[in-house]
Parts: sequence; C-alpha cells; structure tokens
Amino acid sequence: MPAPFGPFLRRQRERLRTQRGEDFSVRQVAGRAGLEPSYLSKIERALQPPPGEAAVRALARELELDPDVLLALAGKVSSDLQKVILRRPQLFAQLIRELKNQPDHAVLRVVREVRDGDW
Amino acid sequence: MIELSRDTLVFSFPEVHPTARLTVSFQRTLRLPDNGRDYPLPPGFGGFPLRHVDDFAGNLPAEWPKHGGVLLPMRQAEAMWLSFRPDYLGDHATAYPFAIKIAAGKINAVSGGPWARPLARDPQDYVVAPRQPWLDGFNVQQGTVRQFVAMPLGEGYSAEEQLTGAAEHGGLQFLVAPMRAEAFARRFPKIVRRREVGTAMGIMDCVPSCPAPAAPAAMGLAPGGRMRQEIYDDPHRPDEWDEAQASRCFVHLLNSAHWRAATGDEPPPSPVTAQAYAQAGLPWFEYYDEKARPVGGSGILAGLKSLAAMATSKRKPLPNNASVAPGAIQVIHAPPRRDNVVRESGDW
Repeated sequence: MPAPFGPFLRRQRERLRTQRGEDFSVRQVAGRAGLEPSYLSKIERALQPPPGEAAVRALARELELDPDVLLALAGKVSSDLQKVILRRPQLFAQLIRELKNQPDHAVLRVVREVRDGDW
Repeated sequence: MIELSRDTLVFSFPEVHPTARLTVSFQRTLRLPDNGRDYPLPPGFGGFPLRHVDDFAGNLPAEWPKHGGVLLPMRQAEAMWLSFRPDYLGDHATAYPFAIKIAAGKINAVSGGPWARPLARDPQDYVVAPRQPWLDGFNVQQGTVRQFVAMPLGEGYSAEEQLTGAAEHGGLQFLVAPMRAEAFARRFPKIVRRREVGTAMGIMDCVPSCPAPAAPAAMGLAPGGRMRQEIYDDPHRPDEWDEAQASRCFVHLLNSAHWRAATGDEPPPSPVTAQAYAQAGLPWFEYYDEKARPVGGSGILAGLKSLAAMATSKRKPLPNNASVAPGAIQVIHAPPRRDNVVRESGDW
C-alpha cells in the first residue's frame, strides 16, 4: 500500500506555492513547522514515516489543512480524542460503531451547538 | 451555528455559504501597566479553556444557564485579548468577511453604547474580519484601547458597573453576521486559476455539585492599561451584511478560584507579569494596516475610570503596576494571517 501522507502533504504544499510563492517552499514550511528541511523532504517522498502529533499539527497549521484529517492520514488519533475515548471507552466505542454507517448529515446532527438563551 | 472546538468558538453559517466560518479565541496575556503610558500589543500565552454552561449549570451562578453560551476562567486583574480568524477560501483568494459586535457586560466595546442587535455605522459599533485580527480592549481613543482586565462583578470596576450603576450581566457578548452570499460572490468571484508566483498580500487586504467558595464568582471586564491598537472601519456597504443570519453568544467569565469546583479541572496558571516579561526581553507587537482607516474612539469609554485609578480611589492599589520598557517590538503588517499565529503561539 503506498503511503498517502507524504505525497498528500507535498501536493498541498506545491499548490500553495503555486498560488502564493516561496513562503511555501520546503525550507520555509519546514522552518515555520520547526522541522529540518531535509526531514520534511523525506517525509514528503515517503522515505520517512509521518512525524509525531505535534509536528503533524504544525504542518496542518502551516499548510492550512484540518489537523484531524492530517492526523488520520498519518495513521494517528489526536491525543485529546484518545483521552476522551479512554475516559469512557465502552461508551465511545459503542458510539463510534453506531455512527460508522450513518450518512454525514446524520452524524453532523450529533455535533453539539452552543446554546443561546435570554440575555 | 456555534460550536466549541479546542477551546475556541466556531461560528459557521452553512445557510449562507458552505465555508463561512469564523473562529474566535480568547487569549491569555500579561496585564499592561495602567499608568497613562501607551504600550505596544502584548503577546498571547495560549487560549483560555472554554466550556458549555449547560454542562455545569448546577455549579454556576443561577442566571448563567438562562443566558446559555459558554464560560471561561479568569483571575482577578487578569487580562485577555480576542482573536478573530475567518477561514481562508483559496478559490476566492480571501477570507470570508464577517461583522463582529463585541460587548462586555452588554456595553459595546467599540462604541460604548448599550447592547443592541443591529449593526450601527455612525459611530461604527463592530469590527470587521478579516481586517481586524484582534481586539485587546475598550476603544477609548482613535488608535488606542484600554486593555480588557477581569475584576469581580459587584466591586464597581467593570465598564458595565461604571456606566449603568448595576452589576447585572458581566462576561462578554458576541454577535457575528456573515457577508451576504450575493455580496460575497460579487466582491470575491471565484478565481479559476492563478499563475503568478509571489505573495497574495495585495488581494487579501480587500478586505457534580460542589460548595461554591465565598468570593464572587462572576467577573466583568474593566478598562486597564492603554495600548496602541486601531479599530478599522468597515469597507463594505451596510446592506452587504446578512444580519438576519447573525449568531450571538454569551461568554461568561468565572473567577478562576471557582473553576475547579465548577468544572473539576485546574484553571490555567497565572500569567507572567509585564515586568518579568519585559525584563526577559521577549517580543511585543505592533500591527499596521496602511489601507484601512481607524474609527474614532468612544467618548463614553474614554470617560471611564481606569482600573488603577479606581483601585487607588478604593485605597486598594493595583499590584505589579510598575512601568515597563518593552524591548523588542515585532511589527506586523496587514494581512495578518500567518502572523496571527506568531502573536498567539506564546511558548514563553
């Protein structure tokens, strides 16, 4: 199975580079994300496995990607979600299994809104 | 609709535009000396934790569940700034525009007027995203704000108490109106393809129950030290805002001393003092947008007694209020998108 993470990262970075220039070179993006350019380059070419959660988040921020999506591509579950699941493992395991075959609109209804009241 | 996501408030308007999303975050920061001097923008030390009021209703002041909304913890005399980050739409080469009304204790932080739902132009009583990246305080003068500083509601410091004589609301109130879909499509048509290499800068600037401790739990925002910050005018037409779709939210401020009892979590640590921060030679910030015009200050807000003046008159002098000399100042030019992250990623 080809590793989707690196090539995906590279496509996104190249797209931003075409649109907005050298701020999105490997060197610049790596610098802002706190990585060595050579390391980022290897990750993009799938010569290195995806980096740790903090680095994935930094890359998501720099490349304007959703951190949860990028973490998923890296085969990771965000540490805050892990904590949530570990606190009530049975409940969340059941919830996720229940929701897995639901269409997006049904799942979205589960998203909790901030309630506005009288003031 | 409004969601809580990683301690930020995310306002989205799927009925207006699929990607009309604005993230509002509440940044911890140092309290500026309140000594009549104007300071540059202080750094952000990360966001305050945000929680649904409904989750802790039994542990909170009785009227909070009626207000709905969210809550966050603040210490006495702790400062905060607000960050407004709209989603950037690459296909349109802009962030989706929003009009944002902000009030503290239902006193409008830009105009000084009482809370009202419609957007007002003269004087302008809201800020516009993406033009306005941050708001740090009450608009007391053109180019100058007085920092948002939390004080226990009922002690007379808050802007609300000074102006209305009552300690009724406290907290912060928001109303967010997206740009109308038609206006957005007209102003920011979809870009089929962009070949030029270079920055897009020119394009982006268009625009369980626990006994409650004895101290008062609810906090209100008082006007603290002065800082240089411009509140920019609205470059759009009034009818381009979709006010019918506006969402509002009450953000309650809970005294940090009550946070653990109410939520079971530890509140964030006390921020460093301005004095320690300046001594360490850490960066301060200035923000410039040459293309935008600042709105005038509010005479009402200018007439408020500042935190230090009020403390002196109560014979309870403010601690850590010695003047500081900000060393390194990082100048940030519009557009602020990437630099936003710089001011907020406070790992110091």
